[in-house]
Amino acid sequence: MIDLTDVSMRFKLPRDKVNSLKEYAVRALRGELKFEEFWVLDGISLNISRGEVVGLVGRNGAGKSTLLKIIAGILKPTRGMVRTGGTVAPMLELGSGFDQDLTGRENIFLNGAILGYSKQFLLSKYDEIVAFSELQDFIHAPIRNYSSGMLMRLAFSIATVVNPEILIVDEILAVGDAAFQKKSRQRMAELMSGGTTVLFVSHSMEQIQELCSRVVWLEDGKVKMTGSAQEVCRAYAGN
Amino acid sequence: MDKRKLKQGFAYFLLLYFALAIGFYFIGGEQLQFSSSDAVSQSPEAVSSVGELTQGTAVTESFTLSSDTLDKISLLFGTYGRDNTGSLLVRILDSEENVLFRQSIDVSKLSDNGLFDIRPDSPLISEKGKRLALEITSADGASGNAVTVLTGAPSDLGDTVLTVNGQTQPLVLCLTVYGSSRLLIGRFYFVFAAAVGLLLLLLFADALKKQKSGKSSLILNAVSAVVRYRFLLSQLVIRDFKAKYKRSVLGVVWSLLNPLITMMVQYVIFSRLFRSDIDNFPVYLLTGIVFFNFFSEATTMSLVSITSNASLITKVYVPKYIFPVSRALSSSINLLISMIPLLLVSIIMRTPITPAILLLPFGILCMIAFCTGLALMLSAFMVFFRDTQFLWNIMIMLWMYATPIFYPVSIIPDRFMVFYKLNPLYHFIRFNRIVILQGVSPEPRAYLYCLVFALGSLTVGTLIFKKVQDWFVINL
Repeated sequence: MIDLTDVSMRFKLPRDKVNSLKEYAVRALRGELKFEEFWVLDGISLNISRGEVVGLVGRNGAGKSTLLKIIAGILKPTRGMVRTGGTVAPMLELGSGFDQDLTGRENIFLNGAILGYSKQFLLSKYDEIVAFSELQDFIHAPIRNYSSGMLMRLAFSIATVVNPEILIVDEILAVGDAAFQKKSRQRMAELMSGGTTVLFVSHSMEQIQELCSRVVWLEDGKVKMTGSAQEVCRAYAGN
Repeated sequence: MDKRKLKQGFAYFLLLYFALAIGFYFIGGEQLQFSSSDAVSQSPEAVSSVGELTQGTAVTESFTLSSDTLDKISLLFGTYGRDNTGSLLVRILDSEENVLFRQSIDVSKLSDNGLFDIRPDSPLISEKGKRLALEITSADGASGNAVTVLTGAPSDLGDTVLTVNGQTQPLVLCLTVYGSSRLLIGRFYFVFAAAVGLLLLLLFADALKKQKSGKSSLILNAVSAVVRYRFLLSQLVIRDFKAKYKRSVLGVVWSLLNPLITMMVQYVIFSRLFRSDIDNFPVYLLTGIVFFNFFSEATTMSLVSITSNASLITKVYVPKYIFPVSRALSSSINLLISMIPLLLVSIIMRTPITPAILLLPFGILCMIAFCTGLALMLSAFMVFFRDTQFLWNIMIMLWMYATPIFYPVSIIPDRFMVFYKLNPLYHFIRFNRIVILQGVSPEPRAYLYCLVFALGSLTVGTLIFKKVQDWFVINL
């Protein structure tokens, strides 16, 4: 389902960001254009089969988000091969692509289109999205008037209306108030149990142990350990 | 992709192509058949005359036509500085003495040392190298009340012969012949059209074959991208458009008002400067403003399309070209709306609206393609060098002065015209102006210029964008 072979990602970080042509030219002439190269990911090979729920753990900067972005197709790895079979639904940040001036309804279609849904699909699921988000009449108001909780509810409802073959989640399991959190957790559990391949990042060991069948521990761009949830979590917690 | 649908799409496309090709043949009309009218012989300097054209005098000049049509003959008359009356009969004959055209001239209308145009209602269609004769006779001229035609010695006489009452003269008449030449494209139009159609058919057949064998092809990729991202594209265009006027009172009316107000201000200022040179100055001005505004809006808006959607691009996978393309397209909608005031002003100014207006979509599409290519280029540059947007503002300003928006092309010195014509906007705006103001099709070469600039910009833009787009996420 997801097949990573020797995936490496190199970032070239200029010592200071050069933002203009003139600066660039001046520095290039002086020979001051120095880059600090570092490998965010270094030779990751991973094989995830259909229906597996895989958790990613690791410290900040270990390369978890970069790996998710590579699998989602947002970033292209410097080296290595990525193969994914099936539709990928990335949930990296809810509500990216919302437009503040458009109404909730208009944003459902805009955001849905960005996530790759078809028009027919959105039309058929529209009522479901509105019902799940509990926005009722607010759906016809511009979202700049929404509270942040309402925004997250709407974004979550749009993002989870699909049944994708591969779901990529970056710590967004629960949003909104207590009641909605419960509902959203349920929805996530539903998605994960429905035969979807899930790859998700969390810092909560409880969540990981509760949901994952396998856990991958990343450190400094390398796979430090991979194995069953309990095994890896214990090792990670003891680290 | 569904094979049946693909076949259907290709079939529709071919049908559309042939319908357009046939329709264009009729709209293109004369312009497709003949080049623009130009002087094909030079008038010599006047040094003498044939003497008074009195009753019974017959002046005949036979010459070889060096073009395929005869549109106009400009003849230099002399009146001896007095007011004469009576009439002259002018005939144009071919070598078999058939009268191709005849016209009676009121002598009192002629001015001393003044040109008079003998212009058939429609160009006389002949062929290159044919010998024609211009014959002038007077019905009632009397000595003291007659005019004359002036003569001179041309640098190259050729086989032009002037006879007066049958006697060959050493000089020839001071006349200029205007004509146009038959174009290759007009003669072989349907051959060309069929050849392009056949080429399309072959391309489609190849694409279908490749689809069957599972290979990728440019056409298939393009079609599947359009099918797949049509919805996203339409949503983004709608967003851009709605967001633009969302909280303004007049909203979309601004798209109508903006060009109108610009036109009025510039009209007041520039009509003093250039009015005498330009027919129908309001429409001339508005055409330039509307199309240049589109260019300026489409490019400046799409310039930031990648950087301003950074949060999206770094979080969701969407083809990145969608952003500049959608920006260019939403500006196109604006362009279509501003066609309304253009049409209104045209009607108010009594500009004749002819079937040639149907050619306008060609000029507009070429401009959209040109701007989309630039949009791809600029938005990519912008990611790496944020100075691009400030540089571009200056470029737009320079470009505006380098484009004939409010001034006539005639003020550009001839020796700079070569460079001036390198400006793609000159060709797009010229094309649209000919269609709107003169109500005829531009010459075939104008289509070629527009097409080359449009496709060139689109190709270069796509290539650059494709090459650097993988670096966007890291640099945003």
